[in-house]
Amino acid sequence: MRQATPVAGRCGLGDHDRRLQGEIRRTQENRIVRMAGYIEGRNVSLTFRPPNRAPLRALGGFDIAVEEGEFLSIVGPSGCGKSTFLNVVLGLTKPDSGEVLMHGKPIGGPGSDRAMVFQEFGLLPWRTVQHNIELGLELKKVPAEKRRATAERLVVLVGLAGFEQHYPHELSGGMKQRVGLARALATDPDVLLMDEPFAALDAQTRDLMQAELLRIWREARKTVLFVTHQIDEAIYLSDRVVVMSKRPGRAKKVFAIDLPRPREYEMRVTPEFNDLKLEIWNTLKDEIVA
Amino acid sequence: MAEQAIVRPTFAARYRKILLGGFAVILFFAAWQAIFLFVPFNPLFISKPSLIAAGLVDLIGSGDLFHDLAVSAVPFFIGLAAAVIVGVPLGIVMGWRPRVGYALDPLMTVFYASPLVALAPLLVIFFGVGVSGKAVIVFVLAVFPFIFNAHAGVRAVDQLLINVVRSLGGGEWDLYRMVIFPSVLPYIVASSRIAVGRALIAVLVGEFFAASEGIGYAISRFGDIFALDRMFGCILVVMVIAVVLTEGIRWAERAAFPWRTRQ
Amino acid sequence: MAETQTLDARVAALGGADAAPHRSLWRRIEPAAWGAGSFLVLLLVWQFVPYFVPLKPGTRLFFTVPSRVAATLWQMIVSGSLWAPLGVSATAFAIGLAIAIVVGLPLGILIGRSSLLNAMFDPFITAFNATPRLVFLPLLMLWLGIGLWSKVAIVFIGALFPLLINTYEGVRNGDKLLINVVRSFGAKEWDIARLVVVPNALPFIVVGLRLAIGRAVLGVVVSEFFGSQEGLGVVMVRAASGFQVDVVFAGLIVFAGLSLLMTGLVKLVEDRMTRWRPEHVNAP
Repeated sequence: MRQATPVAGRCGLGDHDRRLQGEIRRTQENRIVRMAGYIEGRNVSLTFRPPNRAPLRALGGFDIAVEEGEFLSIVGPSGCGKSTFLNVVLGLTKPDSGEVLMHGKPIGGPGSDRAMVFQEFGLLPWRTVQHNIELGLELKKVPAEKRRATAERLVVLVGLAGFEQHYPHELSGGMKQRVGLARALATDPDVLLMDEPFAALDAQTRDLMQAELLRIWREARKTVLFVTHQIDEAIYLSDRVVVMSKRPGRAKKVFAIDLPRPREYEMRVTPEFNDLKLEIWNTLKDEIVA
Repeated sequence: MAEQAIVRPTFAARYRKILLGGFAVILFFAAWQAIFLFVPFNPLFISKPSLIAAGLVDLIGSGDLFHDLAVSAVPFFIGLAAAVIVGVPLGIVMGWRPRVGYALDPLMTVFYASPLVALAPLLVIFFGVGVSGKAVIVFVLAVFPFIFNAHAGVRAVDQLLINVVRSLGGGEWDLYRMVIFPSVLPYIVASSRIAVGRALIAVLVGEFFAASEGIGYAISRFGDIFALDRMFGCILVVMVIAVVLTEGIRWAERAAFPWRTRQ
Repeated sequence: MAETQTLDARVAALGGADAAPHRSLWRRIEPAAWGAGSFLVLLLVWQFVPYFVPLKPGTRLFFTVPSRVAATLWQMIVSGSLWAPLGVSATAFAIGLAIAIVVGLPLGILIGRSSLLNAMFDPFITAFNATPRLVFLPLLMLWLGIGLWSKVAIVFIGALFPLLINTYEGVRNGDKLLINVVRSFGAKEWDIARLVVVPNALPFIVVGLRLAIGRAVLGVVVSEFFGSQEGLGVVMVRAASGFQVDVVFAGLIVFAGLSLLMTGLVKLVEDRMTRWRPEHVNAP
């Protein structure tokens, strides 16, 4: 069974904070009631056993439930197993115990209903932008004309028109990640998994890409599972934010982000935004081992 | 953290690669020995490990092996030393003075790419079949790796590190001591690995041509008189020496320059 | 202070060759000019040594000048005396190299993808790679006789290991991230090899091929010195013992030229194949 969400408001908080947290809890409970359990992780545990080194417990009973169409972010300290969990959802890694369900069915391996956007882009350097975008379709044996049509449409969607025949080394970091996003969208997955996709970009490019991602998300209407270590980014983008504990990772607390959409950049300087940021930071900071 | 420190991988997991490798080698020799239980053994055509071992014991007991090795070692080390003394400074100058580099780089590339061993007959005739002839062949083959790597090493010196040292008040000598030597040295050690391999070829070429002693001469003479057990023995000895030298240098590289580990 | 400034200039010059976009014509052709100049100087000095340095009669026997070498080479080309031995040598080279490629590439990929095979083959690869192939020549002559096949065997052993080791390194170097990317799109082992492992290993394989060509030429030369009755190497040894120094140098030039030509061709293919690489990333 799904474990109860950890209770909020343990540590000394101001009145305002407590009220806010109460609201968060209420929203959560509402959601749990009508939750379809689109993606559900139940008590997921995983230990890495690298040869010649001590084993590493990455996940220790991680619980999560993602709604259909939701934008959910996972934040946590470095090495808490956030990326590991994405790999489990993607089907590249199998957990030692617990299970991850999608549509109520356990995930057996990679499938075209999920696609990942990788932190280091993961573009094949010997392929042009167009052929990188076509990769997933090619592996699904989609005919060439159809692949090309999809790639052409996506190149426009991610704002890379005119760069189809460029090689990755000719692109900037932001452009590379646009290709990564287009490639993930090409197979028309239901779920986008994003593993710190903007971490390798400079701050301004990151801000721009976040806005772009929200625009594309509005158009493409995917469920997004987004891993980041940036609190700002998580709040700005998400419907809910899950804070993870340090390794072995568990869900420490879930925050609902009830900020209006569409979101503008100015939203980041509102008191509501900053209250949430402080709240999440206070939850997160005990887990950070400097 | 504590729980991770206590868990140690098992012995088999730690040394899996070495154990498997050793196992494969033993398996190879065992199969070699055993195969003659099924196929007829012709001592004029092939040998087997038991006979090779006996032959080696003989060669060691009589002192012939060590004598031949000592004879081969002299030109080997003289030629290598000369190659270091000439090659390293030349390479450094080529790297440090761009015009010298421009002038000599194509020349050196052509020399390095050509099979200079083809000059061996000439060198043997000119310098004689003794130590000097062999040492010259060793030098000619071994000098280019040193030139090229010293050159590359100087070119790889990091401008940023030079600025760092200078900003901390370092003078010319400090630059050499703290940046330039440490960054060139690994290149030179790496080149010695290549040079050793080429020097071994050189010694063998020299001794195959015309010699009356030395390990190369021993191999070719045992071949001529169909003493295959001793011939295989000497070949194995050369293989062991080659592996020990190159792997030894590799080990020394890792030990001396731990910051350069590629993994 | 002056000292550090010159040092600065020198250091800047180290990396400077490819830095400035607006370079004068001279700056651009300077390296090539110095290179060509040094060649010319070397040839001239060599040519005119006999006019300045009195050579002892014994030494003169071993001495030649570039013009005589060129004349001899030309003579060998037009008279046809070059072609038959060169054909013999080229045959051994081509067969040996071809077998090395056919064996080395698949084996390298296999060993690169399987840690068990890797562990078991490693001692043998290390040993054979470190050992000069020449030590096997007397044995191979005994087994295969004096002639084509002992040469082919030496060429094969020499060329196999650079190919094998570089293929293996290239496969092992396969980018974990890219492998995960294609796996996440449902790729099987064959797709992984096709889409990531082989393209990724290609630059390594090409470097291996260049090394293999060098070693193959070396193998031909050396095995013809000792274990053959025809071929360009044989011509050279005979010429050396007959004090025809021009012929030895002419042979050397032919071998060097072939070696450079072949590696140049490989480089050309490599450049075409690796258009996707940023310019300053060179194969290891």
